Amino acid sequence: MLSLNNWRTRQALIAYGLLLPAIAYFATYFFYPIVVELWASFYRGAPLIGEARFAGFDNYVQAITDERVRRALWITLVYAVGTTACTLVVALGLAAILAGPVRANNMIRAIIFFPYIISFVIVALMWKSLLDPYTGILNSILFMFGLEGQNWLGTPQTALPTMIAITVWKDVGYAMLIYVAAIQGVPQTLYEAASLDGATRRQAFFSITLPLLAPTTLFLAVISMISHLQDLSAPYLLTNGGPANATRLFSLHVYEAAFVELNIGYASALSFLMFIVILAITFIQFRFLGRKVSYA
Amino acid sequence: MRGFLKGFAVAAMIGAGGSAAQAETLTVYWNAGHAWDAYQAVIDKFEADNPGWTVQWEKFQWPDMRTKLIADFAVGNTPDLSAEPGGWVQEFAQQGLLKPLDEYVARDGEAMGYPGDWQDFSVNRNMVDGSYYGVQLHLTCATLVYNVDMLKEAGFDAPPKTWEEFRQIAIATTKPGRFGFAPNPVPAYYWPWMFQAGATYFDPEAKQVVFDSPEAAKGLQFIADLIHKDKAAPLPVTGADYEGPQKLFTAGRAAMIITGPWDVTPIRTGNPNLNWAIAPSLTDTAQATLAGGVSMMIPAAARHPDQAWDLLQRFVALETELAASVANGMTMPRKSWAASPEVQADPTLNSFGQCLPYARDITADLRLTGKSARVEELLKSAVDDVVYNNRPAAEVLAQYAAEANKALAE
Repeated sequence: MLSLNNWRTRQALIAYGLLLPAIAYFATYFFYPIVVELWASFYRGAPLIGEARFAGFDNYVQAITDERVRRALWITLVYAVGTTACTLVVALGLAAILAGPVRANNMIRAIIFFPYIISFVIVALMWKSLLDPYTGILNSILFMFGLEGQNWLGTPQTALPTMIAITVWKDVGYAMLIYVAAIQGVPQTLYEAASLDGATRRQAFFSITLPLLAPTTLFLAVISMISHLQDLSAPYLLTNGGPANATRLFSLHVYEAAFVELNIGYASALSFLMFIVILAITFIQFRFLGRKVSYA
Repeated sequence: MRGFLKGFAVAAMIGAGGSAAQAETLTVYWNAGHAWDAYQAVIDKFEADNPGWTVQWEKFQWPDMRTKLIADFAVGNTPDLSAEPGGWVQEFAQQGLLKPLDEYVARDGEAMGYPGDWQDFSVNRNMVDGSYYGVQLHLTCATLVYNVDMLKEAGFDAPPKTWEEFRQIAIATTKPGRFGFAPNPVPAYYWPWMFQAGATYFDPEAKQVVFDSPEAAKGLQFIADLIHKDKAAPLPVTGADYEGPQKLFTAGRAAMIITGPWDVTPIRTGNPNLNWAIAPSLTDTAQATLAGGVSMMIPAAARHPDQAWDLLQRFVALETELAASVANGMTMPRKSWAASPEVQADPTLNSFGQCLPYARDITADLRLTGKSARVEELLKSAVDDVVYNNRPAAEVLAQYAAEANKALAE
C-alpha cells in the first residue's frame, strides 16, 4: 500500500521530482515533435502550414515504391558503411601507433582530433576550395607531377568517394582518441604473458588488442552508423546531392521533399521509414558485432 | 513604510512609462547578396520617421531563407516582410500563408505608381486569383557576358549572335586551364538555350510539361556537346549556389558565361581590371532568355503588416531603385526606371535592360498548379543526367516529361 511514510515511496517521489525537469524537456522538445511528425505523415500536402488532406498510409506506400527513395537509401547505406569502416580502420591504425611511446604524441593526437571540433560548414568550404577542379591546390599538385586533374566533387564517379574521404578526415580523430584510451586500458600482463609464449607484436595485436577492443569497436560502429545514416550537412554543403544525384543521401531527399517541394506529409513518412531502417541496422550491428564482444 | 510605497509607485510609473514607449521591431528577411547601401539608407530613414521602431534586417542565402520561412510558417512566427527569388509568392499564397495586398494597393497604388509603372509581367507573376500578394523589387534577365580581351586574342572583335558563332568562339578561346564557356549547375540556366531553339516548357491548357520536344532536346544537347564533345566547357561545379561560372569568369578562366545583373558587383569587385562586356542573348530560331527577379511579400501571420507595407513602398520608390541599380548594376521593374536618363546612360544597366523585352518568366503558369517545386526537382535530375552522365537529351527529357506529368496529374 502506498504511503508517504513509506521510505521507498518517499524516495520514489523525490526521484520523480528530480527527474521532472528532464522529463518535461524531452517530452516538449523530443516526444511531442515526434508525435506531431507521425500525425503529419498520414496527410498529403503541407500539414502544419497549409493545405493537407488525410491520406492514410498513402505516403508510406509511395515512399516504398519510389525509385528515387530506393536510390537515396542505397547511396546512404554505401556512404554510412564506407565512412564507418574507413574511419574505424584508420582510427585503429593511428591509435595503435599513438598509444605507444611516440615523440610529440599529444601534439599529433591534438592535430588529428582538431577537425572533429570544427563546424562542417568550415570543413566544406575548406575542402571545396582545396578540391576545386580549376583553382584547387590538389589538382595543382597533380599538374606539377604531370597528372591529369580531377573534378573531385563534380563527376558522378568520384563525388561519393570524395565525400566519404572528407567525412573520414573529420571524424577519425574522435574514434582514434577512444581507441587510444581503450588500448591503454588493456592489461600489460597479457602482453607480457604473450611475449613469454613467443608471440610477435603483430600476433599480440590481432590476438589480444583487437579482441579486447571489441566493445569499443561496437560502440564506435553503432554511433558512427546512426550519425551517418542521418547525415545532411555533408551532401547539402559539399554537393547539394549532385552531380546527377550521385550524393543525394536520404536526409537530403527528406529535406528537399519538405522544404523545397513543400510536401511535408511525405517527408514525415520518409523520416519514419528512416527511423525504422536505423533501428534495424543498429539491431543487426548489436546482433553480429555484439557476439564478439567481451567485457571481461 | 511610506518610503517603500513611494518607491514602489515610482517604479510602477517608470515601468508603465517604459512599456508605453516600448520598442517595436519590424523583422525583414532579405537576400544576403542584396544588402546594399541604398536599402540600408531606406531602413535608416524608416527608423528615423518612426521613433521607437527598429528594423531587424536578417540576411540569408535563398535556400536557407526558404527553410527558415517554412519553419516560421509552421509555428506562426513569421517575419513582417520577406524578399523571395521568384515563385514563392504564388506558391505560398495558394497555401493561404500570405496577406493579400489589394487593400493597400487600392489605397496607395496610385501614389506609388503600382501597378501602372511596373512591367506588366512583373505584376502578373505576383498575383493569384486576381489578388496582389507580392510586389516586384528587382526584375532581371540572364544574357551572355564575355571577356573582351580573350575574344580579341582568339580573333573575334564582336560577341557571338548565333549558336554556331558561339560554339566557334568557345572552342577558339579554350586553352589549358581556361574554358570558352562556363555552364551553371542550376537548371534555369539551360532554359535560354531551349527557348532559343523554340521549345515551350509548360502547356497551361493541357496542364502538362511539354519539354519532351525536339527543340528542348536540341538546346540541352548543345551544351552537353560543348562539354563532352568540343571540350570547350567544363562540367559545372556542383553545389547549392550558382556562383561557380562567375568565379571562373572573374578569375579569367572562362571567356563567356550566361548570367544576370546579380553578378555585376562580384565581377567588378572581384577583378576590377577585367575587360568584360554584356551581349544580347543568342538566337537560334528565336532570341530568348529567362526572366527572373526578386519580389517582396507580407506573410499572413505578420505582426506589423501596415508598417511592413510602408517599408515595402520605400524599397520600391523610384529614387531607391535608381540608387540601388546604378551602384550595383541591378535591373528594376519600373517603366519609369527604364526610361530614366541615369539608366539610359549606364552601359551595364542598358545592356541588361535591353534583354527584358524578350525575357520570359517560364514557370509562371506552372507555379499556379502548386506543384512547380516537385516538377522542377525532377527537371534538375534530368538536366544533371544529360550534363554529367552525358545521356542523350531527347531520351532523358522524354522520361522527365512523363514523370513530371504524372506528378502534375496526382
